[in-house]
Amino acid sequence: MSTLHRLKQTVSTRIQQRPVTQAATSRIAPDETVPVNFTVNGRPATVHVAPRVTLSDALRDHLGLTGTHIGCEHGVCGMCTVLVDGDAARACLLLACQLDSAEIMTVEGLGKPEDLHPLQASFGKHHALQCGFCTPGQLMSAYDLLDKDPGIGRDELPEQLSGVLCRCTGYRNIVDAVAEVAETHPNGLPAPRNCAATELLPRASVGGPSRSAVGVDEVDLEGIAEIRMPQAEPTVSIAVHQQVRAEPQQLWSVMSDTERLARCLPGAELVVDFGNDRYKGRVQVALGPVKLAFLGDIHVVERDETTHTIRALVQAADASSGNVQAEVVVAVDAAGSGSAVRADARVHMTGRIAQFGRSLASDVSKDMFGQFTAALDAMARGEEPAEVKPPSALAMTLRIPAARVRALLNRIRGRN
Amino acid sequence: MKPAPFGYVRPAEVGDAVAELVRADQEGGGKVLAGGQSLMPVLAMRLGRPATLVDITRIAELQQVQVADGELRIGAAVRQRRIERDFGGVVPLLSRALPWIGHREIRSRGTVCGSLAHADPSSELPAVATCLGATLDVIGPYGKRSVPAAEFFTAAMTTVLAPVELVASVRVPLPSSGSGFGFAEVARRHGDFALAGVAVSVTSREGVPRSAVVTAFGVSDKPQRRDLTRQVVAAVNAVGPAPEALTSQLVAATEELADEVVTTEGDSSGSPAYRRRLISALGARELARAFNSSMERSTR
Repeated sequence: MSTLHRLKQTVSTRIQQRPVTQAATSRIAPDETVPVNFTVNGRPATVHVAPRVTLSDALRDHLGLTGTHIGCEHGVCGMCTVLVDGDAARACLLLACQLDSAEIMTVEGLGKPEDLHPLQASFGKHHALQCGFCTPGQLMSAYDLLDKDPGIGRDELPEQLSGVLCRCTGYRNIVDAVAEVAETHPNGLPAPRNCAATELLPRASVGGPSRSAVGVDEVDLEGIAEIRMPQAEPTVSIAVHQQVRAEPQQLWSVMSDTERLARCLPGAELVVDFGNDRYKGRVQVALGPVKLAFLGDIHVVERDETTHTIRALVQAADASSGNVQAEVVVAVDAAGSGSAVRADARVHMTGRIAQFGRSLASDVSKDMFGQFTAALDAMARGEEPAEVKPPSALAMTLRIPAARVRALLNRIRGRN
Repeated sequence: MKPAPFGYVRPAEVGDAVAELVRADQEGGGKVLAGGQSLMPVLAMRLGRPATLVDITRIAELQQVQVADGELRIGAAVRQRRIERDFGGVVPLLSRALPWIGHREIRSRGTVCGSLAHADPSSELPAVATCLGATLDVIGPYGKRSVPAAEFFTAAMTTVLAPVELVASVRVPLPSSGSGFGFAEVARRHGDFALAGVAVSVTSREGVPRSAVVTAFGVSDKPQRRDLTRQVVAAVNAVGPAPEALTSQLVAATEELADEVVTTEGDSSGSPAYRRRLISALGARELARAFNSSMERSTR
């Protein structure tokens, strides 16, 4: 007690002697939200968080990366295991604000549905999951283990994999799955399959769930950032070719007027024209109970009057569901008595919307282009297209095979 | 399971960290955040609600590990996994104990000094530090002081640290020739806190034990260090060094030890009698092993 007493007496005098060097000290008040920049799966990301927000919440709620599951939220179950600066760690025991400039890898970075990491493929082969809830944690823990110690023996696996719980009692199959990868890759675990190797894009920062992405009053009027497309394979590639009645020159008169062009896209609206062919715009998409509102940047990078081609880059975010980036090319050629409209798009999706699956995302995107082409044709021929409104649930479900919508709804229910 | 709101400050220098602790102490209470692997669960369950966390992990001085002057010096921001990976075998008892701490995923972030400052009575590192006679370097507003591990832990999760002080580093003696070590614990499953465990250090010369120390943990409010040199000498004289025979011979001594050090109440995981049995069995076995490895090391 005497030490403490002595300390208390010396404290007040020492404070004046040792002022904090503010320049080197980061300080966040309890109710303050600050931007934190780190790298997730090779891509730069920014989250705006208060000090008490954990990495697991930041990944899920702010970046839409819901592959990182949350179980106990106090470090026991291992569901939220991710790699932080190369080592597996519990995301629920880390504060997002601690991690600026850290490199984080989540299960989303490990592989893609069409290009699984060997660990993921092995989990499938060995039926190493029943309910699947622990699977992301198991995969990330196993990745860390085999990455550092590729030749590890099977006998050591149960203890080494004990940091992530499985309540379906599926450990035997999990050990089998990891053991096979250890045996087939004794000299080193293959690299993750969905991590960008280089810096890809200045990602628009994604706010928390409280930040609406639709409110006009929240639109950043500063202009738009340079949009760079990811080098990875797009989530969806769309090529729509459609014969229309209008002549190329008529179509081009609409296409060269961005405001009129935007009105041809269902649910779209230009919000701000910054000049230099840079715009802020929004698109609403309704799909049954799913309602997405994307607010984002558009940059028309090419207008070629001779070939009747425009090319635009789009980068948009929905507050809770994720990000979309797209490169869109629309070209018009004379064909028969009218024209052929060719629309090609490479669409990159991250976050929850990426989980909708390729086929559904492709269907929705194609449908929107179909409607766009029809509206473009109508406007080019002097007819005003029908009032701009989001694609309705009815309209979408009529065009998209019912089974796919059902599958989506099941997926959404399963996740809530 | 979300923590209550708290302020966060990340100083770049040790002096600033102390100044922040002083400031926090006057404004609702502060807590040092290093690895956070024990602190974050406390916050999540709202068992603790500090007004400010002082994150010391980016202080360059505290990220240092040095082997010098017969000691391994580990800074407060150094993570357990780094010692496990890069300094394995430098202090054999530490290398033995580290894999028992939580899981790999915990050791990726958890710090050596953080475990010591947290002072959970069933955790491994306080026992190791006590067994080896490590020294903790403590920094506070008045300056620095060095505290031997034997004096650092005062009760369950309680140390001599004042709220405005932090552990800057721990210095662990390197092994001398002719020393051997043992470590064992029993937990409900790997990574859980130990029901009972022992850290053992033995030195010998020419087949004769010179010192034998057992530190028991998980069985009272802090690590319990006992000198069993006399008993080990007697046992070696009686039955020789063969591990199995020596273990059996030592059980009487370690039963006596267990009776003395096990003071914890029983719980659903084990009665006091069970914990005594564990200390006795693990203590005898690890003493015999440590003595045998001390002879190997001295002949090299």
